[in-house]
Amino acid sequence: METRVAGVPEDEESGLLPRPSAAGRRPSSAAPRFRPPPAVWATVDGPLGLPLEEAEGHARRFFLWGFACLPFLWAINCCYFWPILRSPAASTPAAFAPIRPYVVRSAIGFSIFSVVLITWATTFIVGGERLFGPTWNDLVMYNVADKLGISGFMG
Amino acid sequence: MADAAAAVPGDPPATTVLDSLGEDITRIVSPVSACMLIVVLLVSLLSSPNSPSPLTASFAAVTGGSVGGGADDIPTALITAVTFVVAVTAATFLLALLFYLRCTPCLRAYLGFSSLAVLLFLGGQVALLLISRLRFPLDAVSFALLLPNAAGALALAALSPASVPIALHQAALVVVAVLTAFWFTLLPEWTTWALLIAMAIYDLAAVLLPGGPLRVLLELAIERNEEIPALVYEARPVDPRHGSNWRLWREGSQSDGNLDSSSTVEVIGEAFGRSIEGNSGNISPSQVQEASTLAGVVNSPPRPRATSTIEQAGQASALGEHRVAVAEIREPLIQPPLERSGEQQEDEDGIGLSSSGAIKLGLGDFIFYSVLVGRAAMYDYMTVYACYLAIIAGLGVTLLLLAFFRRALPALPVSIGLGVLFYVLTRTLLEAFIMQCSTNLLMF
Repeated sequence: METRVAGVPEDEESGLLPRPSAAGRRPSSAAPRFRPPPAVWATVDGPLGLPLEEAEGHARRFFLWGFACLPFLWAINCCYFWPILRSPAASTPAAFAPIRPYVVRSAIGFSIFSVVLITWATTFIVGGERLFGPTWNDLVMYNVADKLGISGFMG
Repeated sequence: MADAAAAVPGDPPATTVLDSLGEDITRIVSPVSACMLIVVLLVSLLSSPNSPSPLTASFAAVTGGSVGGGADDIPTALITAVTFVVAVTAATFLLALLFYLRCTPCLRAYLGFSSLAVLLFLGGQVALLLISRLRFPLDAVSFALLLPNAAGALALAALSPASVPIALHQAALVVVAVLTAFWFTLLPEWTTWALLIAMAIYDLAAVLLPGGPLRVLLELAIERNEEIPALVYEARPVDPRHGSNWRLWREGSQSDGNLDSSSTVEVIGEAFGRSIEGNSGNISPSQVQEASTLAGVVNSPPRPRATSTIEQAGQASALGEHRVAVAEIREPLIQPPLERSGEQQEDEDGIGLSSSGAIKLGLGDFIFYSVLVGRAAMYDYMTVYACYLAIIAGLGVTLLLLAFFRRALPALPVSIGLGVLFYVLTRTLLEAFIMQCSTNLLMF
């Protein structure tokens, strides 16, 4: 059974209605009484998410903006297009093909960023003063906040 | 049964409104409860009622200072509350004017700026307070890297619901509400209560009176069939097949022949300081039928709420421009032309129905509910439970009234009224009773 990609109209009748909603429509007398194959949606929100034609531009935009020191955009990209990421590379539906490289690269970028950050933070926390010496006290956040006077709640 | 026979095998049986109503209500009560829970936790962790906050000092400075620093008495509270309401009214009229002049980009820009400011500054402050209180040895580099990142991502999620997963968008709105509510709980006690009551009365007036700013704004939006840029929480629709314009759920510009353009509430954060968010909305028992006739309910543009500039009053000079404004806009419910039964007003405080049939609640409601519960948490947990139940009951009553009256109603008055009533009753009557029972080992 071929996988249908949701959001791609297959006939001129569907118009704005997505194909999967045909499952909810009462069939006309001539329609075959088969369930249409389950649709595969590009986004994690399913029928409520981004339509397919906008998905590629969206994925590319988030991927490129992530380089501006905003790695959380990569994370959002991965979460949003989770079905694309999860589908194995060999059997990805053709409609996902332009989107998939961006999502995969966003995933790689975010994992590199998180590995680096977690390593650094863990070293800092576990190492403590033994490893860093007196500069540890200068780097730890609550001391920095006290020094800058911003730990009181501002108005 | 004839219907069932005609259905495609495997087609789910036709659902009545009762089947989805419980789910709908759950999906709006859960984020409200989550917001209140987080605010209560933050207040319990972070509040130190003995230390006067800079906010208190700024209030004293604004209201004449003759009362002394941080004085917490009724005249000061009333003056502050009235000032706040006046500022919110003015800001809402300004918003209506801008909307009338079709300055949507500047509205959106202001919304983005204010939500980013809330997340960055208030979020940073709360994070710093938590780190200091818990003595978590995070280093400055990671903090400086994570905070702007998280603030930017959440602001983006709050502002453009179409580009992020729905869950993230809703979470971002709840975070904004939590931060603003926590900020409000730092006010002195009488001021907080006066503010809540004043906002409830304002909400009632602004939504129901013909000259009210929210009503004006909503009518403008209805007549133009546009959405007001605002911050509104929209529950995920229970049945994604409900609206035929599923693709239009997030887009506001396309229009079908039969459908009004879906005016999903765009998220616009405007914080002038105090935003009142009322939810107006009518729950239409016929929403299922409407959906099935492909007539999605279009929400009229929400009413933005300007929050008062408490910051401005206090420490604008010191901190530059901190405009934390959460615009809460409620969208009126617009019936499709086929079934238009009259204009429906949307209050900021109303609960509305989106084009996909989901319930919408303005962010201001979240904020003021959480402020009430947070202030109750500063006394004791007993008041927290009582006020929480009162607020949820008020929310249910509001939904009921909406379904009954089929017009936009403010969501603040009932809940705040019940909450304040229960707080007073708990503190005066229930506590004495419970204490006596506990000390005599009768009931724990």
